[in-house]
Amino acid sequence: MKNKRHVSILLTLLAIVALVASGCSPQGGSTTVKELSGAGATFPYPLYSKMFDTYASATGVRVNYNSIGSGGGIKALTDKTVDFGASDAFLTDQEEAAMGAPVLHIPTCIGAVVLSYNLDSTPALKLDGTVLAGIFLGKVVKWNDPVISALNPGVSLPDLAITVVHRSDGSGTTSIFTSYLAAISPTWKSTVGAGKSVSWPTGVGGKGNDGVAGMISQTKGSIGYIELVYAVQSGMPFASLKNASGSFVAPSLASSAAAAAVSLPNDLRVVIVNSPGTDAYPISAFTWILVYKEQKYASRTLAQAQALKKLLAWVLIDGQSVNEGMSYAKLPAPAVTKALALVDSMTYGGTAIP
Amino acid sequence: MAAQPSPSDRREAARERAFTAASLVAAVALVATIALFLVQLLITSRTSRAAFGLPFLWHSEWNPVTEKFGALPMIVGTLVTGFGALLISTPFALGIAIFLADYAGRKVAEPIKYLIGLLGGLPSVIFGLWGLFVLVPIVGKFEVWFGKLVGSEALVASGTTGVGLLAAILLLAIMILPFSASLILESLLVVPTELKEGALALGATKWDMIQNVELPYVRKSTVGALVLSLGRALGETMAVTMVIGNGMKMPTTLFDPANTLASAIANQFLEATSPVYIGSLIQLALILFVIAIIINVLARVILRRGIQQ
Repeated sequence: MKNKRHVSILLTLLAIVALVASGCSPQGGSTTVKELSGAGATFPYPLYSKMFDTYASATGVRVNYNSIGSGGGIKALTDKTVDFGASDAFLTDQEEAAMGAPVLHIPTCIGAVVLSYNLDSTPALKLDGTVLAGIFLGKVVKWNDPVISALNPGVSLPDLAITVVHRSDGSGTTSIFTSYLAAISPTWKSTVGAGKSVSWPTGVGGKGNDGVAGMISQTKGSIGYIELVYAVQSGMPFASLKNASGSFVAPSLASSAAAAAVSLPNDLRVVIVNSPGTDAYPISAFTWILVYKEQKYASRTLAQAQALKKLLAWVLIDGQSVNEGMSYAKLPAPAVTKALALVDSMTYGGTAIP
Repeated sequence: MAAQPSPSDRREAARERAFTAASLVAAVALVATIALFLVQLLITSRTSRAAFGLPFLWHSEWNPVTEKFGALPMIVGTLVTGFGALLISTPFALGIAIFLADYAGRKVAEPIKYLIGLLGGLPSVIFGLWGLFVLVPIVGKFEVWFGKLVGSEALVASGTTGVGLLAAILLLAIMILPFSASLILESLLVVPTELKEGALALGATKWDMIQNVELPYVRKSTVGALVLSLGRALGETMAVTMVIGNGMKMPTTLFDPANTLASAIANQFLEATSPVYIGSLIQLALILFVIAIIINVLARVILRRGIQQ
């Protein structure tokens, strides 16, 4: 009968829903944890998928990572719906207060933000922070401005308007770039400031790295900032920047790693832009995995805390070998040592996790 | 002697009742969803109202760093792009619909109708890509030409990008065209043949008939079609984001980068973390919601007046 068939279809659907729901439940009930979940930044997503893939085949523990954006990751960790969050910017004091408990910042790799541009015959461009701040403040408006020519002797720059391209969506990339400009230029710091999303004095916005790159590649005379990984993969030209020690450095995995080879605070909650190292590319930054220091919260078991700790230690030691193949810079040894100390400081019910 | 209801009658009645209840639940669920929606928006945006109050509507600064927010540039961007697109697309929509209803033979009309359907079903991101790579450079060239014409150095300089209000208006006009054209066509097709043939029999030319019989007959549904299209233009997000330039400042010319309410929300919501910032973005959604309601109410008022005359 027709009605009966409807009922049976409905029941099948319900069964499927129930099955899916039970599959998603993090509580396995057993002592071995087979699954961990995280959410957050989109920037390290390709790296994390590769790392967690490798981790699953090595240990049998699956890690689900949703690249929903740093903001979403921070919110998910605050709501305690994931084992870890991930962010390109460290938590502000306000965000940390909202978490209600101390949070550890575990760096996983180093990213760099590069300045890409569209000029005829693509000259190798050299820039410094002051000039960049001038351009992004809308004060340096032509490519043949003397301040740009002074940095590029021998390069003929056109009498062409500079079109600034920035991110329109909130992003860790913007946060890193504006932190750099704020570190260099007092005017930038006081009029615009730094953040994942700022009030731009000039320019047009593109959504995501691809939006900015697309706008740059079809606009003569444009300049914008994108992630190094993206620039390398899409073959965009990028400028060398003058670093804090006065030398011009092209962005690369080595030069962004060099930015972290300085003395770091123990909590690793630090912006490494304008790093003093001689080989350091000045717009470099960590991206972090965020976890609660005290792991006994909600209904978490000791086994879950152990599995998370094991994963983090793996990311910092074995996992680092994945980085360079995926165009992400490795953490330098001192940073790894400090990060491992942070992982060891995780507790369950007030005692160290065995 | 009363007839005993047979078991099959009783089953019939039970089924009738069950169906009535099911329809009622569906109708109530729709109203409840909208109400919950509004309540949720009101609750989650209260941080913004507490911080800025009503001036949020007419302040034009949007600064996530200092957490000072005002919605005016996005309200202006939304209304200018929506109404601009409607203004440009309406004559074309009417022309297409009249041509298909009265002039084109079946062999011509059917493929065109199919194409309109296809255009209407294209995902907006495809419109956005086309807009960015084809439309935007053309707008840029026009901007340079126009800048030289009026002697504006600034327009010539910024013309190299081409993104801005004008590009968004043109793209939206194309996007809502299949929508309004097919809705108007639907209503033209139901104009009674007797009326049309009567007019022609009285010696009216085709144009007379269209002007005096068809168009007055479909006035109401045409306004309805245009309001629906406007609604689509106001809420369009992805394609607009790709061509409007996403400037959060007050636009001063049609060539300036600007933003709409929907596009600003889509761009910034993911990475917004502070309560006031999130609240302000949701407040933008609330404003968009209210604009949509106002436009629908206005359309109803216009329609009622149109009928009375």
